[in-house]
Amino acid sequence: MPMGRFRSLSTRLTVQFALLFAVAMLGVSAALSTFIAGSASRHVAEQLQSSGAVYDRLWQQRSRELQNAAQLLARDFGFRAAVASADAPTIQSALDNAAARLKVRSAFIVSADGRVTSIDGGISPRETERLWAPLDEGRLTGVSVLAGRPRQIVAAPVMAPNLIGWVVFAPTLEGREMRSLERLSAIPLHAAVLARSGGAWTEAAGSVSVLSPQAAASAERHMATGATFQMKVAGEKSIVLAKPLPAFAPGERAMLMLTYSKAQALADARVLQAALAVMTLLGLLLMGFATWRAAGRITQPLARLDEAAGRLASGEHVQVRVRGSDELARLAASFNEMVGRIVEREQRITQLAFNDVLTGLPNRTMFHQQLDQLFRTSEANGSLFALHCLDLDQFKVINDTLGHPAGDALLIETAQRLRHVARGHFVGRLGGDEFVVLQSVGVDRDAIDRLARDIIAAITVPVTIDGNEFVPSTSIGIAIAPDDGRDGGTLLRNADLALYRAKEAGRGTYAFFEESLNKRAQERRQLEADLRLALERGEFELHYQPLFDLEKNRVCSFEALLRWNHPKRGQISPVDFVPVAEDTGLIVAIGAWVIREACAQAARWPADVRIAVNVSPVQFHRGALHETILRALAASGLEPGRLEVEITESIFLEGSETTLRLLHALRTLGVRVALDDFGTGYSSLSYLQSFPFDKLKIDRSFIHNLLTRDGASAIVRAITELAHALNIETTAEGVEETAQLVELRAHGCSSVQGFLFAEPMTVSDVEQLFRDDRLGIRNVA
Amino acid sequence: MVRIILGSVTALALAAPAVAAPLAVRVVDAAGKPVRDAVVTFYPNGQARAPRAGGRYVISQKDLQFHPFLAVVPVGAEVSFPNLDNTRHHVYSFSPAKRFELKLFAKDQSRAVRFDRAGVVPLGCNIHDQMTAFVVVTDSVWTARTNAQGVAAFADTPGGPGRVTVWHPYLRAPGGKLQQALAAGQTRLNFSARLRPPAPAMHTDY
Repeated sequence: MPMGRFRSLSTRLTVQFALLFAVAMLGVSAALSTFIAGSASRHVAEQLQSSGAVYDRLWQQRSRELQNAAQLLARDFGFRAAVASADAPTIQSALDNAAARLKVRSAFIVSADGRVTSIDGGISPRETERLWAPLDEGRLTGVSVLAGRPRQIVAAPVMAPNLIGWVVFAPTLEGREMRSLERLSAIPLHAAVLARSGGAWTEAAGSVSVLSPQAAASAERHMATGATFQMKVAGEKSIVLAKPLPAFAPGERAMLMLTYSKAQALADARVLQAALAVMTLLGLLLMGFATWRAAGRITQPLARLDEAAGRLASGEHVQVRVRGSDELARLAASFNEMVGRIVEREQRITQLAFNDVLTGLPNRTMFHQQLDQLFRTSEANGSLFALHCLDLDQFKVINDTLGHPAGDALLIETAQRLRHVARGHFVGRLGGDEFVVLQSVGVDRDAIDRLARDIIAAITVPVTIDGNEFVPSTSIGIAIAPDDGRDGGTLLRNADLALYRAKEAGRGTYAFFEESLNKRAQERRQLEADLRLALERGEFELHYQPLFDLEKNRVCSFEALLRWNHPKRGQISPVDFVPVAEDTGLIVAIGAWVIREACAQAARWPADVRIAVNVSPVQFHRGALHETILRALAASGLEPGRLEVEITESIFLEGSETTLRLLHALRTLGVRVALDDFGTGYSSLSYLQSFPFDKLKIDRSFIHNLLTRDGASAIVRAITELAHALNIETTAEGVEETAQLVELRAHGCSSVQGFLFAEPMTVSDVEQLFRDDRLGIRNVA
Repeated sequence: MVRIILGSVTALALAAPAVAAPLAVRVVDAAGKPVRDAVVTFYPNGQARAPRAGGRYVISQKDLQFHPFLAVVPVGAEVSFPNLDNTRHHVYSFSPAKRFELKLFAKDQSRAVRFDRAGVVPLGCNIHDQMTAFVVVTDSVWTARTNAQGVAAFADTPGGPGRVTVWHPYLRAPGGKLQQALAAGQTRLNFSARLRPPAPAMHTDY
């Protein structure tokens, strides 16, 4: 890296560019400055040159003036006479006169034989004798040093008629003329004439002080070129022009020196340069600032990104603001997107860890965390909270008949409904169709009931899955902390027990945990274990309840009813163990045994007596029922037409297509099919239309209320009429009173079943019945 | 017709002493070229002989010039100055040898001047600057003008010791003449003269 190691890009950019610009600006400024100084110098040089030219003109003018005067004097007859006759007083007065007119102090006559008559006592004859040779040579003008001062020598020969001498004017090159020259110049220069006779350069009354030998040498060197040069004059750097002036005598040198103080010459330039310097400085500052700003504009987003990245690394989720649409903005946008992705991924990981993939609800892990949290809160402030445990009624059935995708869809739907109905509470899925809701409760315990009811109501809204509409339902078990458990495990167990109770109480309801439920749960587990052994031990037996045909007035059929003789607990009602058998799947084996047993028994009965067997939906859908029946019929040799399979409408819950296929398959065997418990649960007339049932068994609840409730009678009538229209037999269950029988007869019921006629009986009792030939109905109105 | 008697060597040498010696003086300029019309005069020590003054000398003004330009006359000679021009002339000389002024304001007006001292008398005209002439008034019989070879020869001179002076209108020398001593028995002298170009007519403007 060529630059130093900057921690900040902004600094680096600023420094780099500022340096670059600075170099450029300084370069330009230096060039400009040099140009300004140069042009100022040039200007001064030009001024000096023109002043030099002016001085030349002045010099010549003065020279001419003096010469004219000298010539005029030299021609004057009287003067010539005076000179020729060396008439000193006359000569002097004439010279005085001319000198006064010309404002010259030094004038003299040099005669051809070298004699001098002068009006200036300051000039020694020896000095003037020097002039004779150049005068004799014919020189008439020039500069010479006399009496230690440079003078402009102007001479005119005196002819009388031959050359007898020269009139010489020798004015000092003094300040006055220099001043006038200086005044003529556009710039305030200093002019001086310097002359050298032998040794040093001496100066007339110019304004230049005596030159040092070096300076003089320098001036002499430059005199030839006619160019301006720079040197120190009187200790001050100056721009100088040296012009040679004609020297009068050999060995003498003269020059006009025009000097101009460099400081003065460059004063304006200096002002300009100062302004330029200020501008440059301002420019640099501005440039620095602009660069800093620009760098900031570039690097600020980068710095923000840097900071954001740092914060991202430390686990924060930050978004940077995106401004504009340049690369930086795109970078920022990409960063945001990346953060978004990371957040998403983290959420996904978190979800995978704490959420259920299918429904997106919190999973068991998270539920336990939440539970612990609530326990801590509850301990801290003594608040209550309720745990609702729920599962979907008949979910297994749905899953098994419609397949897993349908089951998953139902679970997702359920989760959504729960989320909605239990807003503000924790909703989780523990697995399968098990859901939980954690509800913080204030003083109002009724809120728990309200929520439970709301949940049930929300779940029991009909749902369409795979084009099949059905109504799900749920049962809820509720445990309240801290009363029903001081830790999560206990609370959950107890809520589960409450759930079983709710299921027992009839599905689609809720129950609270009570301690007794614990016992029942243990009992049930025991029951399950015993149930597994019951078949092997042959603890089951069938009892048969006769059905009376109201037209033929005789027993037309027996319903096989399962009985379990438990070795310790004695007889256990099917109500107590069948659900357990269904839940565990044991019902398949037990059911198969029932069919075999019933067929075997019925085969020994009169041929006009049928046997009815209850088939559970579990058997129906998972028990290879068709095969079981086929084998039972084959083994017993029973006429298929004498076997009646009783199913409940709940089998249609798992999809009517497959159910109907199975029913038709049974039909093909010749087996009769009866619809049990008709009028309760999921009654749907479409079932009646979709399958030609042989019999409808009207549920005992209608019969029980037949005489007491108005509606019951109407329903029974409607069912019988409907069945009649569809050419389906009807059996009324649970007939206990004669009045009921009379009413049923009036409605045109095909057959009846109940304690009014006979309770369920053992095989031996049935056989006894056949032996006694007591198949007719007695005491029946 | 004016007779102009030139002071010829032969004429002057008539009065030569019995012991006669020849003398040849050669005048050359700085470039070594012979200088003609230089006036060479020999003064033997202690035996000077003035020429005899006689005859008439005329220096006329014609065509704004003096004629002749150079006249060598003996001491005491009288020179007349006739004005042959239509213009006026103001003839003058400021020479120490003879100072005079002649205002000749009419044609054919003539005045005479007697030159009674030896020396060079430059003549000028106060009206016409370009008019110049020289009258060399000599007091020695051994006076001669150099010929085209720059030589002035004297057949009979008393011989050295003596001195020889050389004068020329354009001679550049302090005092206006050159002078050398002639040793006894010396018969030849060489002079090197620096000459001025003839003075140009002076212009008033420069």
